[in-house]
Amino acid sequence: MWAMLQTLNDEVPKYRDQIPSPGLMVFPKPVTALEYTFSMSDPSSYDGYIKDLKKFLKSYSLEEQKSLANCTDGVLFEQKGPDYVSCQFPDTLLQACSGRNDPDFGYSQGQPCILVKMNRIIGLKPEGSPRIDCLSKDENIALVSTYPNHGIIDLKYFPYYGKKLHVGYLQPLVAVQVSFESNSTKKEVTVECKIEGSRNLRNEDDRDKFLGRVAFKITART
Amino acid sequence: MERGGKRGKVSPHGQHPSRKPKREPKIKTKKKVKRDTKKKDMEELKKEVVMNDHQLTLKELSTKYSVDLTNGQSPEKAKEILIRDGPNTLTPPHTTPEWVKFCKQLFSGFALLLWISSILCFVAHGIQLYFNEKSSSDNLYLGIVLAVVVGITGCFSYYQEAKSSKIMESFKNMVPQQAQVIRGGQKMQINVQDVVVGDLVEVKAGDRIPADLRLISAQGCKVDNSSLTGESEPQSRSTDFTHENPLETRNICFFSTNCVEGSARGVVIATGDSTVMGRIASLASGLKTGKTPIGAEIEHFIHLITGVAVFLGVTFFVLSLALGYGWLKAVIFLIGIIVANVPEGLLATVTVCLTLTAKRMARKNCLVKNLEAVETLGSTSTICSDKTGTLTQNRMTVAHMWFDRTVYHDDTSEEQTGKFTKGSETWFVLARIAGLCNRADFKADQETLPVAKRETTGDASESALLKFVEQSYGSVKEMREKSPKVAEIPFNSTNKYQLSIHRHEDGSPGHVLMMKGAPERILEFCSSFLLHGQEFPIDDKMKNAFQDAYSELGGLGERVLGFCFLNLPSSFSTGFPFNTDEINFPMSNLCFVGLVSMIDPPRAAVPSAVSKCRSAGIKVIMVTGDHPITAKAIARGVGIISEGTETAEDIAARLGIPISQVKARNAKAIVVHGSELKDMNSEQLNQILQNHTEIVFARTSPQQKLIIVEGCQKLGAIVAVTGDGVNDSPALKKADIGIAMGITGSDVSKQAADLILLDDNFASIVTGVEEGRLIFDNLKKSIAYTLTSNIPEITPFLLFIILGIPLPLGTITILCIDLGTDMVPAISLAYESPESDIMQRQPRNPKTDNLVNHHLIGIAYGQIGMIQALAGFFTYFVVMAENGFMPLHLLGIRLKWDDPFLNNLEDSYGQQWITTHSCV
Repeated sequence: MWAMLQTLNDEVPKYRDQIPSPGLMVFPKPVTALEYTFSMSDPSSYDGYIKDLKKFLKSYSLEEQKSLANCTDGVLFEQKGPDYVSCQFPDTLLQACSGRNDPDFGYSQGQPCILVKMNRIIGLKPEGSPRIDCLSKDENIALVSTYPNHGIIDLKYFPYYGKKLHVGYLQPLVAVQVSFESNSTKKEVTVECKIEGSRNLRNEDDRDKFLGRVAFKITART
Repeated sequence: MERGGKRGKVSPHGQHPSRKPKREPKIKTKKKVKRDTKKKDMEELKKEVVMNDHQLTLKELSTKYSVDLTNGQSPEKAKEILIRDGPNTLTPPHTTPEWVKFCKQLFSGFALLLWISSILCFVAHGIQLYFNEKSSSDNLYLGIVLAVVVGITGCFSYYQEAKSSKIMESFKNMVPQQAQVIRGGQKMQINVQDVVVGDLVEVKAGDRIPADLRLISAQGCKVDNSSLTGESEPQSRSTDFTHENPLETRNICFFSTNCVEGSARGVVIATGDSTVMGRIASLASGLKTGKTPIGAEIEHFIHLITGVAVFLGVTFFVLSLALGYGWLKAVIFLIGIIVANVPEGLLATVTVCLTLTAKRMARKNCLVKNLEAVETLGSTSTICSDKTGTLTQNRMTVAHMWFDRTVYHDDTSEEQTGKFTKGSETWFVLARIAGLCNRADFKADQETLPVAKRETTGDASESALLKFVEQSYGSVKEMREKSPKVAEIPFNSTNKYQLSIHRHEDGSPGHVLMMKGAPERILEFCSSFLLHGQEFPIDDKMKNAFQDAYSELGGLGERVLGFCFLNLPSSFSTGFPFNTDEINFPMSNLCFVGLVSMIDPPRAAVPSAVSKCRSAGIKVIMVTGDHPITAKAIARGVGIISEGTETAEDIAARLGIPISQVKARNAKAIVVHGSELKDMNSEQLNQILQNHTEIVFARTSPQQKLIIVEGCQKLGAIVAVTGDGVNDSPALKKADIGIAMGITGSDVSKQAADLILLDDNFASIVTGVEEGRLIFDNLKKSIAYTLTSNIPEITPFLLFIILGIPLPLGTITILCIDLGTDMVPAISLAYESPESDIMQRQPRNPKTDNLVNHHLIGIAYGQIGMIQALAGFFTYFVVMAENGFMPLHLLGIRLKWDDPFLNNLEDSYGQQWITTHSCV
């Protein structure tokens, strides 16, 4: 066993064909299923989410990113090593969902922020200009806005070189803010996000409903 | 199954609406009484037939049955008796309905274990469903597959079994349809069912006897009792009381035997089930047979497996509770472990292996009726073999001759190629007498067959002589044409000779008188004897030589006939009216020619087969209805009594001391007479069976055969019994494996048996034993092989629970392995060739040499299974590591791995994985 482990590369796994295309995942992760339920008037019902978000975004704060490079937008950031640098992802890009202006991430106003991220895959080089497109199932109930605008994922964060080499790597995020119409009585909506704009990122696999897409439900009570 | 179950519930109301309420209050007590009486009945049936009707005079008989011996009883009385005794038929035994049989197949032994695990699976699935655990429906699939597997195997074995167990039907085929009775002075033809005790019945040649009869008159009547006793020769019947044993006396005819010659009239003394045949039939169909050895082994195996499964299950139940899983999870784990321990494919594997062997045995002339019997032959430690037909060729053959003061030997092998030609004049005379003074003849259209294989008419000894002459002298037909018969006195038991008068061969007007018969009777007629073609007067020297030769041949167990002739004086030339009733020709001062002795010789392959059995540790016991001397001679001939061993009688004769002084321990061999056996208690029988290695039972009755079998079984032996007659069927049924004869065997014996020897040859049994032992060894291998995969199948689950690694092997995959990839190699082990010493070792001890013992489980689980499991885990960890999950990283990620909504599971390299194949 030990001998076998010696044959493995520390930096890159031997086989990578099992994950050719990334999945999408939301953050914070609800305890059960992908259903967010909270009450605007009751902070304890969304405290957990906010705590998680804050913790998660800590590494995205400007102070933490001082050592990271400021890379050129719009092109793949390929590196030859031996040292690998990571690109900055300032949380300001998340605008309203950065938590800077609104420490409640919109939960108290009934406009909750949810982060959507693309799974890390070593060596993945997206083609075209990938973005995460989120749609509300019922526009009468709620509207969806994404930050950065249009849910763009910049190519400069790719490719990823693995935990060991690529220290301090920040994966690009897209924040989704769901704003319920103030006059709608039913404050419950399903949002579906998909990766679009890239040929090699699949988003329509019958078997895997998380491959390049994710759907979640939000229920907000007053 | 479901349908059967429903029908079972419905039928008591649906089919017999009126009966049920009447029966209900009594049902409990009635049943109990019934069972008791039934048990008593069986014991009763095992005892000898007790009757004294054959000893009564006709007058006493007439009084006993209050019947007029010329006019019969009145029709009214017959009707009364019919109501009292019931119809003259064989009562079929209480039959279990088909669906009950089917369910028995479906829910017996191993199948039950699988059913339980199947149900457990459904329970586990139900628990998961009820508590809303949206994990998977693996348990449901597993449950369904298990149910399907047992269902199919159950159907298969039901189909196998359904073909057998038709004993009673085969008995029914033996029962005649019509009977000729005399009632109220009138002859009438009635259905056999209506024949009652006391009826006056007439039978003639070609009829089947409609009930047990005590003859009151007979004209040259001969019956063929072969279906009952296995003795193939027709026996003459008369009104005389000749033997105390009702089975041997001449004046009794038995139900369902055949009348082959003459006619007779008799009083019915028993009908239906109380007839000798009826008793055998109910004994045979009512006997409960024990479990087959392989069945017992499988049961033992189930105990072991269940023990292991429950032990593991409970251990991990406790462990998982201790590890902090909820009780619900723990119960599901418990069920999972128990189910995972059940080798799903084993039942099918065993069935297929047995079927394969059964087919192979059928090619070697052993037709197996009951699958499990395939192995039984291999565990056999005692064979109770019939003599006639199995050990012997079942045809009388001339074995020795004595003339010119010399004993000549003839070839008795099956082919009988060695032609006997001796230049002596005496021999030609002897051959002519044997050919001419002989009523046997070849059946037509057999010229192309070798003489030994041709069929003949006439009794066995005459046929033997006919064939002998045809082979060594020349065409008997020609001989008979040249010297036509002018008069004859056929053989009968009072004369003990047969006489015929022929024309001279050369066409001269004189006649020659020829005679054959019991040697001492023949010698009485003679005053001279033939020596190298010359006549000499009989002197003491010759008489002594005759006595020596006679006792020598008789001692070989052979049937000896004497031959003599007389050239009649010229006064009896052509045209003389010979009268055989009032003898008008000389019958003294004949010229003695010689002796011919005949025997039913042993089959050529039998001695080597017996010695093979012996080296394989199998005791061969001969059980025959024949005379002790003949039985002993054949036993010696085939090696059942081996060369060096002696019976008590032999020792006594050698040492010249009375038998009572011979130490029983010194005599390894013994010949037991049926009448001795009758007076023995089971203790004494045990003594005989234990203290003697070479045993011959002679003059045994069917009930005694059964007692012998039971005696052997009580001593722990696995007994094989061969038999061909109806009388053997109880013993065949009772034996662990009953072996019937395919050619000579009666239908009933074939139905009662588990195995049929297609060539009637004892040697085939030995191949059967070899195959049986082989399949036992191979099944062991198959099972060991199948069991090994249990450990690599269950350890992943255990580590899944304890270490929290992702489940390496799912339920469905396990099913694929058990029922798919693992089954073919397991079955292929059935083709393994035998070890070279397979026929040199002792038969296995059913108590200690188990199919599956702790050692086998230990090796399969502890050694091979562990190695497989290690190899499996190695592969698992390698594959995982190569794809990014390092072994240590895997520990404890079970929850995250299985969470269907967690889509960014991180591996050791920082990549994030989504849940694939998630089932919600």
